Amino acid sequence: MQSKSIYKVPNGKLLKISLDYDEKNNSINKINIMGDFFAYPEESIESMENELKNTILEKESLIKKINSIIKWYNIEFIGLHAEGLTEGILMCKK
Amino acid sequence: MKEQWRLLKTNFSTAFTNMAVDRAVLVTSSEGKVPPTVRFYGWKPSAISIGYFQSLEEEVDLDTCRKLGVDYVRRITGGGAVFHEEELTYSIVIPEAHPQIPKNILKSYGRICGAVMKGLENLGIESKYVPINDIITGGKKISGNAQTRKAKIVLQHGTVLTDVDVDKMFSVLKVPNEKIKDKLIADVKQRVTSIKHVLGKEIRFEDVAEAMKIGFEEEFNVELAEGVLSKEEKELTKKFEEKCFSARDWNHRR
Repeated sequence: MQSKSIYKVPNGKLLKISLDYDEKNNSINKINIMGDFFAYPEESIESMENELKNTILEKESLIKKINSIIKWYNIEFIGLHAEGLTEGILMCKK
Repeated sequence: MKEQWRLLKTNFSTAFTNMAVDRAVLVTSSEGKVPPTVRFYGWKPSAISIGYFQSLEEEVDLDTCRKLGVDYVRRITGGGAVFHEEELTYSIVIPEAHPQIPKNILKSYGRICGAVMKGLENLGIESKYVPINDIITGGKKISGNAQTRKAKIVLQHGTVLTDVDVDKMFSVLKVPNEKIKDKLIADVKQRVTSIKHVLGKEIRFEDVAEAMKIGFEEEFNVELAEGVLSKEEKELTKKFEEKCFSARDWNHRR
């Protein structure tokens, strides 16, 4: 199932998610994280997209996974954060 | 004696060359081959630059760009899509460890924007920095900025609007919802301004550049000495222009 969302992160930037997900397993097949936010280093967004594959589309699992990726790759977001990214991803299912 | 930084006045170039020069200077700077460098430049032909994380086809009306002869390029910095036409663009390339540059990214935005604000002040325009990356005057945006940090080097580039044609800007930029396009254009006209609009007269590109030069010198207490791109920087520029910024793979990657 493919879906898109546009989410204005509170006090942040405009996040655009393009999501391909498995309805049966409620998990991510493929995700593109786009928008006018900042992330350092920039290339880490591709790692984030790869690492999110197969993550369950549920708030707690997503936040936990995203925070662990941020820590592992030492990512610094400006205008975006784990909660905002989670919200943008879950909006694709609404 | 004041610390001397390099000033590059590369005038008007294509979007691909402009982005390639910034990246080339970032490389030579990371190898310790050049001093901190401030560059002033313009865009010919007009162009859209999109942020590293943006989707080209979602943000830019490519057909209209082709019809109007407007180029488009993906930046190595994050942030939003920018229509570059009547503006002065600056870039600064400086080691992260330089004492004038705060380690904290947001604070360093504020510091570099301070130089742009002093430049505007030299033109008689009071402005303030609004985090994350805007400078406003009279409540309206006059400058947008974007920063990357690579190989222990800070590269920040940004615009200083000398004039703005919002209708043309929205003919080449896509909006999320076509139904509210007219309202969006009206909103942006209320939220964006330019040197020409604020001062009620046209200011030459060279005069804006001179005001900005003094602004950077004042903010960082340095002397900007006019220089040129090194041979290696010219070669790197050519390489980045061909292999990256004018390449479909790069611009369409998201």
